[in-house]
Amino acid sequence: MSQLSVPSSLGRPGALGGLRATWAVIRREWTIFIRYPSWIISMFIWPIIFPLGYIFTARALSGVDGSGLATFQQNTGLTEYVGYMAVGTMIWMWQNIVLWQVGYALRNEQMRGTLESNWLSPTARFSYLFGASVPQLISVLMLMTVAGLEYALLFGVKFHGSLWLAALVMLAAVPSVYGLGFAFASVVITAKEANAFVFLARGIVMVFCGVTYPLAIQPQWMQDVAAWLPQTYVIHAMRSAALSTDGWAGIARDLGMLLLFGLFWLAAGYALFLWMERRARVTGAIGQY
Amino acid sequence: MHAQTLSQPTLASHLRALFALVRKDWKQYWRYPLNAVSAMFHPLIWIAPIYFMGLAFSINGKAEGFAQFSGTTDFMSFILLGTVLENFINAVFWGMGYALKNDMDSGVMESNWLTPIPRLLILVGHSVTNLVVTMITSIGMLFFAGLIFGFHPTGNLWAAFAPVVPMMIGLYGFGFAFAAVVMLLRDANALVDMSSFLVQTFSGSTFPVNALPRFLLPVALALPLTYGLDAVRSRLIGTTTILPLPWEMVLLVVFMFVMLWVGMAAFRSLERRVRVLGTLGQH
Repeated sequence: MSQLSVPSSLGRPGALGGLRATWAVIRREWTIFIRYPSWIISMFIWPIIFPLGYIFTARALSGVDGSGLATFQQNTGLTEYVGYMAVGTMIWMWQNIVLWQVGYALRNEQMRGTLESNWLSPTARFSYLFGASVPQLISVLMLMTVAGLEYALLFGVKFHGSLWLAALVMLAAVPSVYGLGFAFASVVITAKEANAFVFLARGIVMVFCGVTYPLAIQPQWMQDVAAWLPQTYVIHAMRSAALSTDGWAGIARDLGMLLLFGLFWLAAGYALFLWMERRARVTGAIGQY
Repeated sequence: MHAQTLSQPTLASHLRALFALVRKDWKQYWRYPLNAVSAMFHPLIWIAPIYFMGLAFSINGKAEGFAQFSGTTDFMSFILLGTVLENFINAVFWGMGYALKNDMDSGVMESNWLTPIPRLLILVGHSVTNLVVTMITSIGMLFFAGLIFGFHPTGNLWAAFAPVVPMMIGLYGFGFAFAAVVMLLRDANALVDMSSFLVQTFSGSTFPVNALPRFLLPVALALPLTYGLDAVRSRLIGTTTILPLPWEMVLLVVFMFVMLWVGMAAFRSLERRVRVLGTLGQH
């Protein structure tokens, strides 16, 4: 009797199966994203209207004769205050979107009632979270591109820096921004209603990371806190890459810090995910909401 | 004996209905006291970056540039007043529409609509708790913001109420129209978020509107709220006004009547449309 080859069972998924599962999650999330045109319209409008309040306040603070602006230029070393505000607020928006979308990816599945059944399928569970992040990252890249074009065309912002360095900064920021999102997703699925956590996290970024002002203006204790937040380095590096002509020298230290933070947040995000997964199996609470 | 039926409501029954609505909203709000804490501290998160930004533009600690547009170097009092007034504006402007949306989501909208109560009264009822809660949380916010950033009103508080009254009454008109739009569209969150943000920005909640680029200035001048904010600030912290103060008061009173009339007419027309479509219970 010839020996029959035993097909790899669904209970023993391989790397290829994991990739297929991730691809299925990516495709599903993308389909949901393009199903709602209002989300796409928002992507064009929010980058323009969100920083407006800060930009006009900065314009008022500059004064009729530009005396305030001269002080601001001394403090920041940059002449482009609209671009300065725009870069800071766009990075804040990026982190805010990740907290809501990646942070709530599993929670949304829980609310739809599909999380428990997905959890029982023989796929690597992290692929649900990772898969949800990919379309989100693509939409953020589109948002950043649209925002850059809108600022250049509507506000006349001159991006003196390098597009490639700006892209490099984004790439270096991805692990820390999304690692935080992964960590958040695990907290949210455990705490259920976790809006207050999002408000707290995005509030910390808004207050400490220099979204609209140079860090040197803050008291020392706030600067010490800011030094422990990766978004501080993302904002500083992106301003340097996009608005100044400092080139590589202007972002090298920030990139190093971002890679360190990225390693930490990815590890923390994955560890929290494993903890949440184990806890969910023990308590059986994964389907509750 | 002629018994009075429920379909023949009186003023007393209207007041009882209003009281019931206010009590219901009040109980619901304080069931989640963290909401009040959030309402006090959340604005501080948006204000903090402006505070530091102001310092970055200041010469020897004074916002001289800001004074050229507004007439005061005390930019934090300017912004804090704007934030408090925006809280009240939001409570009336969007609060009624949001309350209707909540009724729709919790499935009580249709049954409430069948009661013999004037529908505008239902909307007004929904705004009362909002206004009282906004007053409490705004006082708390001002207290903490004053401690952190400093708040220095120098004018007469009672005189500052004069422009607030026509502005708030006029806002009810807009609130009625907006509530009707929410009934028609059912899910208007994206619309609300964007339009409230734009109205807030262009009415000058954080900056004097004469600092706007010339092509955007007409947008600000077309909003009655701009004059309300301007007049209150002038009376409380002595800023220079866009127009002479009496003119601004006249404009606010005219806007009050126009907005009330337009809002009520829009509400009646759209509400009839929703009843014809039969979509009142859908969400």
